[in-house]
Amino acid sequence: MTLAVIFIPLIAAFVLLIINDRKLQAAIAFLAAIASFVVSLFLSSALPISRLWIPGFNSYFELNPAGAASVLVLVASLVMIPTVLYASKQIEKNTGNFLALLLFMQAGLNGIFLAKDLVLFYLFWEATLIPSLMMLGIWGRKNRRKAVVKYLIYAVGGSFFMLISILAIKPLAGAASYRFMDLYAVTPKLPVQTQIWLFLGFSAAFLVKQPIFPLHSWLISFNEENHHSGVADVMGTLYKVGAFGFFAWAMPLLPEGAKAVSPFLMVLAAFSAVYAIIAAISQTNLKRALAYASLSHMGIIGVGIFALNLIGSNGAVFLLAAQMLSTGGLFLITGMLYERRKSFDINEYGGIAKSAPMLAAFALFIIFTSIGVPGLANFPGEFMSLMGAFQSNVGATVIAALAVIGAGVFGVNLYQRIFQADETKPLIDLDRLELIVLIPILAGILWLGLAPNLELEKIEIQSRYINPISQTVESNNKAGDSQ
Amino acid sequence: MIDINWVVFAPALSLIIAASVSLLITVFKKNTKLSAIISLIAVAVAAAFNLQLFLNRAEGVQSSFGLEYLADTPALGFNFVILIATALAILISYDYLEKRNLDQIEYYPLMLLSASGALVMVAAGGMITLILGLEIMSLAVYVLAAWKQDSPASEEAGMKYFLLGAFASAFLIYGIAMLFGATGSFNYAAIAASVSSDGFDKIFYAVLASILILVGLGFKTAMFPFHQWAPDVYTGAPMPVTAFMSMVVKTAAFAALFRIAASFLLDMPSFISQILLIMIALTMIVGNMGGLVQTSLKRMLAFSAVAHAGYLGLALFAAKTVGIQAAVWYLTAYVIMNAGAFAVLSLIVDENDQADSLDDIAGLAKTHPALATAFSIFLFSLAGFPLFAGFIGKILVFQAAIENGYVLVAIIGIITSLVAVVYYLRPVIVMYFKNTDNKITIQPSMATTIVIAVAAIVTVLLGILPGWWYGLFEMGQRIVAAG
Repeated sequence: MTLAVIFIPLIAAFVLLIINDRKLQAAIAFLAAIASFVVSLFLSSALPISRLWIPGFNSYFELNPAGAASVLVLVASLVMIPTVLYASKQIEKNTGNFLALLLFMQAGLNGIFLAKDLVLFYLFWEATLIPSLMMLGIWGRKNRRKAVVKYLIYAVGGSFFMLISILAIKPLAGAASYRFMDLYAVTPKLPVQTQIWLFLGFSAAFLVKQPIFPLHSWLISFNEENHHSGVADVMGTLYKVGAFGFFAWAMPLLPEGAKAVSPFLMVLAAFSAVYAIIAAISQTNLKRALAYASLSHMGIIGVGIFALNLIGSNGAVFLLAAQMLSTGGLFLITGMLYERRKSFDINEYGGIAKSAPMLAAFALFIIFTSIGVPGLANFPGEFMSLMGAFQSNVGATVIAALAVIGAGVFGVNLYQRIFQADETKPLIDLDRLELIVLIPILAGILWLGLAPNLELEKIEIQSRYINPISQTVESNNKAGDSQ
Repeated sequence: MIDINWVVFAPALSLIIAASVSLLITVFKKNTKLSAIISLIAVAVAAAFNLQLFLNRAEGVQSSFGLEYLADTPALGFNFVILIATALAILISYDYLEKRNLDQIEYYPLMLLSASGALVMVAAGGMITLILGLEIMSLAVYVLAAWKQDSPASEEAGMKYFLLGAFASAFLIYGIAMLFGATGSFNYAAIAASVSSDGFDKIFYAVLASILILVGLGFKTAMFPFHQWAPDVYTGAPMPVTAFMSMVVKTAAFAALFRIAASFLLDMPSFISQILLIMIALTMIVGNMGGLVQTSLKRMLAFSAVAHAGYLGLALFAAKTVGIQAAVWYLTAYVIMNAGAFAVLSLIVDENDQADSLDDIAGLAKTHPALATAFSIFLFSLAGFPLFAGFIGKILVFQAAIENGYVLVAIIGIITSLVAVVYYLRPVIVMYFKNTDNKITIQPSMATTIVIAVAAIVTVLLGILPGWWYGLFEMGQRIVAAG
C-alpha cells in the first residue's frame, strides 16, 4: 500500500504519455488521483517497505508511512483531485503531457514524504524539480524562461549543499546505512561544530524550498509566470516542503546543530512572515499577492518548526498540510477569475460578488481559512506554531503574530477589492465543473479544521524524534512523577 | 620460461584478429559496412571472453606473463566499459561516415586496434605492458582524429593530439625509467613492495618518477593542467571519433591511473597526494567554467569530458578501497550518457560538424520530441540529477573522497557541478521553452537511433536500479596489482 501511493501516479503518468486521446487522458488522470486518494486514506496503517538499494553504499529503498508522512500524503492527494480535474479542462495544448507531469510530481512528493533513507529522500527531492520546471517552462506565461532559470539556480544551488551534508553525514558519524534509524542512532553524538556545519548544509536546501527570506524570490516569479489556470501553482504549493525537511531529517538527526542555528532561523522566519504579508498587501497583481501571502504562511510555519518544541513542530507540520488546501484553493480561484476576465490585475475587478455569488462565497471561505479563522483548517496549525514559538522566543513570536494580523488585513482587503466595492462588469458564476473542483477543497478544510486531533496525533509520533523535544517531554514526565 | 595464458588476453586478441581480418577482407571487397559488422561481432566475442573470465574470477588471480598482464576484477570491469564504449562508437560511426564520404576501409580496424590497446593498458600489471598498451591505443587514435582530411580543423586535431601525446608519452617513459632506477622493477607489485619496504632510501627518485607518471597519464585523462588539447581535439575530430576518445581513451587511462594509485602512488609521501588533489580540484573548476562559456554543443561536451575527469579523479583517493568499484560504475554511466549525447549531436550537425549551437536546436522538442527527450535525459544525467545514472555515479565518487577525508575537494566538486547544471540544462531550456519556428532537419540513421534509444533506457535504468551493476564489481580488500 505504501508503494501504491507512489506507483499509482507514476504508472498513470507513463500511460498518459503513450495514449493520445484527450478525454481518455483526463479520465485516467482523474482515476489515478481518486485511486491514490483512496489508498492514502488507509496509509497510516500500511506496512513500511525496506530493500537494499545500492549495496556497498548501504542506501536502502525504505518507505514508512508512520507519522507526518501519512497526513501530508493524504492532504496532497486530496488536493490532486481538483487539480487534475481543473487542469484537464484548462490546459489546452498537450493536456496529456501536463497531466503526466502533475502525476510525476505527485509521485515524487509522496516519495519525499515517505522516504526513510536519506539518499532516497534526496532522489525524490531533486526528481520533483524536473516536472515542476517542465510545467513552468512549457506552459508558463511570457517571462517564463527567466523564472525557470531563477527557480533552477535557487533550487539546485540549495540542494547541492544538502548533498554535501548527506554524503558527509554517514562517514562522519560512522552510521551503518543511510536509513533514518541507523543515522539517528549515531548522528546526535557528533561534535557540536560538525553538527552545525551539516545542519547549515541541509538548511541551504530547506530554506530555499520553504522558502524563507532572503531565499524566497524564486517563489514570486514562479507563481507569477506559471500557467494562468493556477494548477501548476497548486503543485508549487505542495512543493514547499522545506519545513518538512527540517522536521523529518535535519532536526532529529542533528539536535545540537539545530539548537545552535534555530534561534537565528526563527528570527528570519518571523521577519519573513511580516515582510511577506506587507508585500502582499501592496501588490496589484493577484498572483504575486497570493505568492507573498503564502510566503508569509511559510514564515509562520518556520517559527513553529524552529521553536524546537513539541507543540511548535506539531503545529507547523499541521499548518503545512492545511495551507496546501487553502493556498491551493486560492490559486484555483485565481485561475477561474482569470478565465473570465483575462487579467490578474486586482484593479480590474470589483463588485463581482453580485453577479457571481457562489464564486464569492467560496473565495471568502478559503480566504477565511487562509487568515486563520478558528474552525477552519489553518487555525490549529497557526495557533500551535505561535504557541510553540512563544515558549522559546517571545520577541520573534510577537513579530510573527503581527503577520497574523497583517494576514487578516490582507484577506479582508483582497476580498473587498475583488468581490465588493463598485461593481465592474458582471461575471459569470461558477459552472458545474468548477463547483466540483472546489468542493473537495472545502471538505478538506472543514475536516482539518473541525477534527485536527486525529492528524495531530499522527504528526506527533514523528515530532518525538526531534531530540530536544524528546528530552523535554521526558523531563516533564519525570517532574510529573515526582509530584 | 614464459608463461602464457591465452585466455587472459583473449579479449584483446580477438579485437586484434578481427582488425586484421577485416583489413584483409576489405582489400578484396571494399565495403566499410561489412567491416563495421565484423568489428561489432569482434567486440561481442571479446565481451564474451571477458564475461567468461569474469565468471571465473573467484578461482584466484588470472594472469599471464608473470604478473604483467592481469585479468582481475578491476581489469575485467574496465574491460566491459571499454567494450561497451567501442560498440557504441562503432554504431554512431555506421551511417555518419557514409554520409560524409569518410568511409575508408581502415576506419574500423583502427578503432578496434585502439580499443585493443586500451584493453592491454587496463590489464597492465607492470609499466612495460602499460606503455605498450598506451602506444597501441594512441597511435590509432592519432590517425582517427585526423580522419577528415579535407577539414583543417580535423587535421589540426590529429596533429596537435599526436605532438602533445608523444610529448606526454616521453614524460611517462622517463618516469618509468626513473622508477626502475629507484626500485629495480617494472612490475607494480614489486614496485609497491619495494617502496613500502623499510630500507627504501631512493624516495627522491620515486617521488620524481611519480610526478612524471602523473604528467603522462594526466595528459591522457585530460586533467588540469594537461587538458588544453582536449577541447580543440575533441572539437576538430569527427563526431564518432570524439565520442570514442572521450570514452575509451579516458577509461583506459583512468584504469591505469587507478591501478598505479592503488599499488604505490598513494603510499608515496603526502606531497604526491596533494599534487593530485590540486590537479583534480582545478580540473573540475576549469572544465566546468569552460563549459559555461561555450556556444557549440560539441565543444561544451568536450569541456564536460574534462570536468568528468575531475570527478573521476576524486575516486582515486579511495583507490585502495571502494574507489575502483566506484570508478567502474561511474565510467559505465559516463560512457553511456556521453555516447547518447554525442549520438544525438551526430544527427543534428551538418556535414562539417557545424550548426550545433544553442540556436540550432531551439524548438527541437516540437519537431523531434523523442530526440529532445533523449537528449534531455543525457544532459540531466551528465548534470548529475537523480533518477539518472549520472547522479549515482556522482554520489559514489564524492562519497569515496569524503570517506577518505577529502571533504574540501568534494565540496569544490559539488559547487562546480552546480555551475555545470547551468550549461547542461541550457540546451534543455532552449529545446523546450523557446518559441521558435526553427525547422530542424536531422539525418536519419537506424544505427545511431539504436544507440540513442538503448543509452536513454540504460541511463534511466542504472539511475533507478544502480545496485546490480555496482554489486558485481565488489573488490574485497585485494585490489593491489599483485595477487
